[in-house]
Amino acid sequence: MSATPAAAMPEGEPLLEVRRLDAGFLLIPVLFQVDLDIWPGELVALIGANGAGKSTLLGALTGLVRVTAGQVVFNGRPVTGLRPEQTVAAGLVHVPQGRRLFGTMTVERNLLLGAYRRRDPRIREDLERILAYFPTLQDKLHRDAGTLSGGEQQMVAIGRGLMGRPRLLMIDEPSLGLAPKVVDRVMEVVRAINHDGTAVLLVEQDVVLALEAADRGYVLENGHVVMSGRAGELRHDPAIRKAYLGV
Amino acid sequence: MWGILNIVNLAHGALVIAGGYLTWLLYSRWHVDPFLSLPVDAVALFVIGYALQRGVINRIIRAPLLFTFLLTFGLNLILVSVLLLLFTPDYRSVTTSYSGSRLELGSIAVPYIRVASLAVAILLAAILWLILNRSRTGAAIQAVGADRDAAQLVGIDLRHAYALTFAIGAAFAGVAGGLISTFQAITPTAGDPYTLQAFAVVILGGLGRVSATVAGGLLFGLIEILGQSTPGLGSGYANAIAFAVLVIVLAFRPQGLLGRLA
Ligand SMILES: Nc1ncnc2c1ncn2[C@@H]1O[C@H](COP(=O)(O)OP(=O)(O)OP(=O)(O)O)[C@@H](O)[C@H]1O
Ligand SMILES: [Mg+2]
Repeated sequence: MSATPAAAMPEGEPLLEVRRLDAGFLLIPVLFQVDLDIWPGELVALIGANGAGKSTLLGALTGLVRVTAGQVVFNGRPVTGLRPEQTVAAGLVHVPQGRRLFGTMTVERNLLLGAYRRRDPRIREDLERILAYFPTLQDKLHRDAGTLSGGEQQMVAIGRGLMGRPRLLMIDEPSLGLAPKVVDRVMEVVRAINHDGTAVLLVEQDVVLALEAADRGYVLENGHVVMSGRAGELRHDPAIRKAYLGV
Repeated sequence: MWGILNIVNLAHGALVIAGGYLTWLLYSRWHVDPFLSLPVDAVALFVIGYALQRGVINRIIRAPLLFTFLLTFGLNLILVSVLLLLFTPDYRSVTTSYSGSRLELGSIAVPYIRVASLAVAILLAAILWLILNRSRTGAAIQAVGADRDAAQLVGIDLRHAYALTFAIGAAFAGVAGGLISTFQAITPTAGDPYTLQAFAVVILGGLGRVSATVAGGLLFGLIEILGQSTPGLGSGYANAIAFAVLVIVLAFRPQGLLGRLA
C-alpha cells in the first residue's frame, strides 16, 4: 500500500499529534507505532476492519486504555496517559461506540452530564445550541434516554460530547445500526459541527460514508496505520477499493 | 448507596455501630442530646468512609465480587477490633430523660424515641433522594453506576465518585447507629445483623433506586414483625423467615421486586 504523501498535510501546528503510540489491554497489545495528526478545523476519518483497533486508539487518546509507549500532544500539551477526566477537561472528547447513554436518566440529564467538568455559566446556552443541531430532541428532553430510537440516541451521544466544549470531537461509528436516512441526518450534523469550527475524528466502518465527509483519512490494519492521505485520494486508491469496497 | 455501585459492604454493620459509639461518647462525656449528635455521626462517618474507600477499597474496584467480599469482611474485623480496643466489649446504652416516655394513641403507646427515629429515617430517605436526583454529585454517582466507561468519558473521576458514594453510605450508616443507640444497648460486635439487613433490603427492593430501597426496607421490616407476632413462633424465627422470603424473591425476581435489569 502507498505511503503518506507529505504534501497532503495542512500547514501550521497540529491540534493533535500522536507519535509512535503503543497501547492495549493487560496482556493484549493492540496498537503498534501509531502516528496520526489532526489540524484545527479538520474532519479526519479513521477507517479499518472489525478489530483493527480503532476504538482502542480513541480509548488510548482519552485515557480509558493504557498507553505503553509513544507520545500524544494535544493543543501544545503532552497528554500521554492522562486519565479521562483530565483529557476531557483539555478538550479531547470521545463519543463512544454504541452510544453508551445513561439509559435510565433523562435526555436533559445526559446532556448536562456532558458538561460535568465545566464550571462556566454558558452551559444552558450550549444546550440550546445543541438542540438547534438536533431539533427532534427538543420535546424529548424529559424522556429517559433509553426509550429513544437508535438515531435519537446517537444524537444525544454526540450532543453529550459537544456539551464538554471539545476542541476535538472523536466520534466512534455513529452510523452503526441506523437506517440510511437517519445516517444521512447524523452525518449532516457531524459536518455542520465541523463547519462551525470543531475538529472531528470520525471512526467508521462505512468507508464510503467516512471518506466522503472527511478532509483526510487514516487506515488502520491490525493495530498499524497502513495508509493515510487526502480523503479524495484514498477513495480512489485501488488497494482501498479492493479491501473495503469489494471492487 | 451500595446498590448503585454494586459494592457489597460487609463492614456496613461496623460503621453503624461506630456511629452508635460516637453518639454514646458525646452523650456520656458532654451530655450531648443523642438526636443532636446525629449530624456529628454523619460527618465523622462520611470522612472515615471517604478515606476507607479512597485508601483501601478503590484498589479492588475492578476486581471480581469475591474480592470485595473478602476485603470488606477483613475491614469489618479490623473496625470491630478497633471498637473493642476503644470501648471494651461492655454493653453501652444512651438513656436520656425522655427515654421512657411514650406517645399514647388510644390503646397503643409508642415510645417517643421510636417516633423521632421514624421521622429521622424519612428525612434521610428524602435527603438521599435529593442528593441522587437533584445534585451534580448525585448525577455523577448514578452515571458511574449506569456505565463506568461512559461516566469517565464525560469527565467523572471514578475514584472520587466511588469514594463519595461510600462516604455517603457510611454517613447514613453512622446516623442509623446513633439512632439505634437510643433504644438498644450496643457492643462492638452488634453490627452483623445490620449488614445482613442492609444486604437484604437492597436485594428485596432492587438495585439502583432510592424508592426501591425504601420499599425493600418497609417490606423487610413488615415481614420481620409478622414473623415475630405469629403465635407459636419465637422472635428468633423472625430473621429466618425474612431471609427465606429473600431467597424466594431472588429465585423468582433476581433484579429485586422493583428493580430493573441493567
Ligand atoms: N476490553 C478489552 N479487553 C481486551 N481486549 C480488547 C478489549 N477491547 C478490545 N479488545 C481487543 O482489541 C482489538 C481491537 O479492538 P477495537 O475494539 O479497538 O477494534 P475496532 O477497530 O474498534 O473494531 P470495531 O469496528 O468492531 O469496533 C480486538 O482484537 C479486540 O478483541
Ligand atoms: Mg470499535
